[in-house]
Amino acid sequence: MHEMSLVQGLLAQLNELAREHGKEKVISVSMEIGPLSGVVIDSFQFGFDILAKDDALTREAKLIIESPPAIYRCFGCGREVEALQRPERCSECSETLFSPQGGDGLILRQVEME
Amino acid sequence: MCDACGCDLKPEHTHDSKVVEVHQSLLAANTAMAVKNREHIEKMGAVAINMISSPGSGKTTLLEKTIEAIGDTIRIGVIEGDIETDRDAERIRAKGVPVVQLTTGGACHLDAAQVHKGIHLLEKEEGGAELDILFIENVGNLVCPATFDLGEHHRLVLVSVPEGPDKPAKYPKAFHSSQVFIISKTDLLPYFDFPVEEAKAEALQLNPNLQVMALSATSGEGFDQWLDYLREVCRKRQ
Repeated sequence: MHEMSLVQGLLAQLNELAREHGKEKVISVSMEIGPLSGVVIDSFQFGFDILAKDDALTREAKLIIESPPAIYRCFGCGREVEALQRPERCSECSETLFSPQGGDGLILRQVEME
Repeated sequence: MCDACGCDLKPEHTHDSKVVEVHQSLLAANTAMAVKNREHIEKMGAVAINMISSPGSGKTTLLEKTIEAIGDTIRIGVIEGDIETDRDAERIRAKGVPVVQLTTGGACHLDAAQVHKGIHLLEKEEGGAELDILFIENVGNLVCPATFDLGEHHRLVLVSVPEGPDKPAKYPKAFHSSQVFIISKTDLLPYFDFPVEEAKAEALQLNPNLQVMALSATSGEGFDQWLDYLREVCRKRQ
């Protein structure tokens, strides 16, 4: 479960940001976790819930996760579709090969602190 | 009462809250270290291959047989990743090539910082600073290692015949991020239901650019294609 070590990295970064901006409490953390990031959102949330409690800085922080869809480009006709899961086949030409674009982000977007 | 948090301070009390835009990957630190590793490996003149699979797919055996076959013409070094023990490193050391064992102490994957340490340790081993191919054998796990760039040039995913053919569909990230897919232990095909062509097609659906090989390190079947691939990797590096 690599989500746990990723959450540890996130908490270290939050500590650094708080120090940098002279803040003592994190109110909310906005993350983007794409469907192709290799990260299970529920596990990430679970890890955050457990580890954030250990630190006064993050004890009450709210984690907001968005998962924007990936774009799948058909190998046959070039048609692009937005989807959370890989399409079975192209609705235009029935091709089964797609190359995904994006959707692999694991990004700390925004932190609200006080 | 304060609307923001319900505290008892006067209504004009304001929370000094601040929104900081970060927009940085959580993997940024790992990626930065991976870039350094790649540069370092290239300065050594080597090309690095990150091997990812479930436990028991035959990564170490594949390395042993590879060293036996071409270890006298291609300088091979190995970084072994395991949760505990240096058993795999002992097996590789017995083949006479420089090797370093990294034990993660519970962590399910190697990261770029660990590999960075591993490269420096390897350079202290005899012959460890002058390599053609650096194999990084990741912790046996088809999930977590796929997220971490170690500074490799090629990523290789292995599935052995007894594991079954549905791994690409179940663990897409490992196949999506790799360049090579090896089906190992093909000598066991008579005893397991493993339709090789279906497994290949499924993997190619996830990643049409995958180079797929089926081989057995025990019987030697398909091994020439693997060795040719390694020679090609060395040749292209120059």
